[in-house]
Amino acid sequence: MSEEIKETEKSYCVFGIGEREFLIPKESVMQVLDVTRIFPIPGAPDYIVGALPVRGKIIPAVDLAKVYNIERLNYSDNKLLVIDVKGEKIGILSDITPFFVNFESDIVVEDFIDPEKLFEQLKVSSQKPAEKRDDK
Amino acid sequence: MINKSELIKYFLLEADDCLNVLVEGTEELETKGYNKSTIESLFRATHTLKGSASIVKFNKITMLSHKLEDLFEALLNGEINYDNSLIYHIRNVINLIVALVNEVHEAGEEKSEIEKEVIELIDNILNKKEIPAVQQKSVIFDALPVTDNVRVELKVIENIFASLSEVLVQKNTITDKEKELFHIVEEISNSGKKLLKEITDFSDMYWLSTYERGQKVIDSFFVDFSDLEFDRYDEYHIFLRKIQEITNDITEGINSLFIFSENLSSHFKSLGREINYLKDSLIEIRMIPIGKLLHRLSEAIKENAKDIGKAVEIDIKGAEIKIDKPVFDSLYEPIIHILRNAIQHGIESFEERIKKGKEQTGHIKIDVKKEGKYIVIAIKDDGRGIDIDKVKEIAVQKGLISSEYTSFISEEEILSYIFVPGFSTSDEIDFQSGRGMGLNIVKTAISKLKGTIEVFSELDKETTFIIKIPQSLTISNLLIFSSHNLDFAIPINYIEEILTLEDFPQALEERSINHKNRIIPVKIFSEIFFSLNGKALQKGYIIVFNFSGIRKGLIVDEILGHEEATVHNFGKFLEGLTQYLGYFISGKGSPRYVIDPLKLFEEEFIFTGLSDKITESFIYSGSVLVVDDSISVRKTLQSVLEAKKLRVYTAKDGVEALNLLERNKVDMVVTDLEMPVMHGYELISRLRKDARFKNLPIIVLTSRGTKKHEEKAFELGADGYIVKPFDEKAIEEEILDRLKLL
Repeated sequence: MSEEIKETEKSYCVFGIGEREFLIPKESVMQVLDVTRIFPIPGAPDYIVGALPVRGKIIPAVDLAKVYNIERLNYSDNKLLVIDVKGEKIGILSDITPFFVNFESDIVVEDFIDPEKLFEQLKVSSQKPAEKRDDK
Repeated sequence: MINKSELIKYFLLEADDCLNVLVEGTEELETKGYNKSTIESLFRATHTLKGSASIVKFNKITMLSHKLEDLFEALLNGEINYDNSLIYHIRNVINLIVALVNEVHEAGEEKSEIEKEVIELIDNILNKKEIPAVQQKSVIFDALPVTDNVRVELKVIENIFASLSEVLVQKNTITDKEKELFHIVEEISNSGKKLLKEITDFSDMYWLSTYERGQKVIDSFFVDFSDLEFDRYDEYHIFLRKIQEITNDITEGINSLFIFSENLSSHFKSLGREINYLKDSLIEIRMIPIGKLLHRLSEAIKENAKDIGKAVEIDIKGAEIKIDKPVFDSLYEPIIHILRNAIQHGIESFEERIKKGKEQTGHIKIDVKKEGKYIVIAIKDDGRGIDIDKVKEIAVQKGLISSEYTSFISEEEILSYIFVPGFSTSDEIDFQSGRGMGLNIVKTAISKLKGTIEVFSELDKETTFIIKIPQSLTISNLLIFSSHNLDFAIPINYIEEILTLEDFPQALEERSINHKNRIIPVKIFSEIFFSLNGKALQKGYIIVFNFSGIRKGLIVDEILGHEEATVHNFGKFLEGLTQYLGYFISGKGSPRYVIDPLKLFEEEFIFTGLSDKITESFIYSGSVLVVDDSISVRKTLQSVLEAKKLRVYTAKDGVEALNLLERNKVDMVVTDLEMPVMHGYELISRLRKDARFKNLPIIVLTSRGTKKHEEKAFELGADGYIVKPFDEKAIEEEILDRLKLL
């Protein structure tokens, strides 16, 4: 279904966490990966569930459920939505396979995520050396 | 000293660049007219050219570029008004320089004489501030010398490195897969052999057993053509034949698969070799001889020394040794810092040197050596040296060392305190003979390079700084260890040695080990990174780090080995995780996080210099070993004695006690009589037989109150006898009073 996108429309990528759905601008989406094994990063905040090695580099995997306090029903079929913010790749866990939608650009979408704001909000700020975290 | 032909090589490279700028700049001036930024770039180019020519003492080029520089400066300052006719003169000078550079290229020296008129002309312009009329309008540039060098932006090489590290990962993966392939081939070949054997055995049997029947069949072929047995036999026969043929095919197939995989693996091996070669040559490309840096620095420092009325000679050895470009760049600051300190605070004034019977000129020796994958730079000056007592004094003042135990600390360790931030800046005048001035900056810079710095000094004689850095930053040497199913790595350059935890059973409890007469504080990795109770650790290793003389230990669960890898940065999103230097991906595809050992122990050296743990251990008034199989007795006694400022070791039987005594200094032993493995009597008699423990006070603490038990104990050599349950008074009399007598 490759429709031509009208000038006035804007494309978003939809991903889901628990019962909620979020939108993110299509331009910042790099790829969608299957989550095989995520390697935890000790010392990272709890919303960073770990790192996924991709082609010799790691992509940090962020669980927005921890950020927005969303209850999760099941963990199966996790996808990692990889977005690019200022040249940095970040993965966002999605419980559904992300898909694209178009909206008229004057429609104000709810649950819209601004990648740059997300980056600033979630990036790991300098902390005390070897800060302890709850290991559950 | 760096050899001259090397220097000329650099000069030519630089001259090439500068001349290009000059040629392009003048062309731009001619076509576009006056432009301040063009003149500025011309000015810079002449300035650089002048500087680099003067190093190799090409005086003519130096002079010509100097004239041009003056001219451009005058233009910039507006002393001379720009006029296109100037181009002619500038071109003339540039041509002269090009000719000279060409000569250097061919013969290694300047040959032609400079036409005086050209110089005079420029001088005239500069003096009279006016431009003489031009006779000829155009001058064509001479061809620039052709060098067989290609200049590549560092970023390009960096990109190649990035793909190379990817290739390395792939290579590791292939090597792993290769093993798997061999495994599969072997399995197939084994099963194939089995199949073949079964079928051969079966057919042998069949052939034998049917031979007679076959005879019959052949007979019956003539006798009874339509015999069913004949038909059945025939199908069976054909089937068996087919199976045999297929089996033979399979065997052949397996054999060729085997040969194929052998072949493949030899190809992999040569591919691996080539990749390694590629890696080495790429690293080589990025390398620059360290002499280039040292020479530049030493010229500046000599000038500097002259300015403050001192004379120094700088002797450089090992200038040809190459280092990675980023290392090269980051070494500038620390080395110039050390050299500046040397001439400012190290090398004495003329009068002082003469008074001390030293040569008037100070000497600084820079000795560069290659040690495996590391470069060791020793910078030695024959100046005042560092006054260790003064360092000690200041360290005590700053609360870095507690005054009670300054005498216990080695000189090496005391000297290492000069690297602590803010060590001397506050009382600079007081600290003339030492040099703390910003040495922590030096240390930080070196640490960033994953290097180490140490200092040695002899008062009034010399000071030596020894910097050890990896030759290349891209590929790091790492120790790999694992913890809780995750792999970690730590740069090997800080690691002094690795001990097994079994040899230091007290380490988990005491958080310090006594090794080679040093009390080394230890941390437990799984506690720091996983917030787990490290005391549960059964087996493990203690990695001993040496941070410029200060030693620290880290207990890890399992060591996987040692690896060379390209460490990636965590990126901006995760950069706050400062406990890591970065990561790399192992051949198996799992990330390995590289720990920053400095951060691991940071709080200790930056804020206190020493942890409370060791401070305590120095203020104990004595040490007691409590041997008892009952944990409650051990614990009670331990807390009672620790309250009296005693260091308490505990053992649960005689054997453990003996082991402990081997490693720790103990002033007194308090032992139970009835214990498993080795009882108290045996312990006492063993201790008394050992010359080292002949006079060690031994107190028996037992529930056996009979005369018989007591006499036996004294007979064997015990000094005291306390009957359980004990009270404070008995402890006081028997243990504390006795210790005070010591």
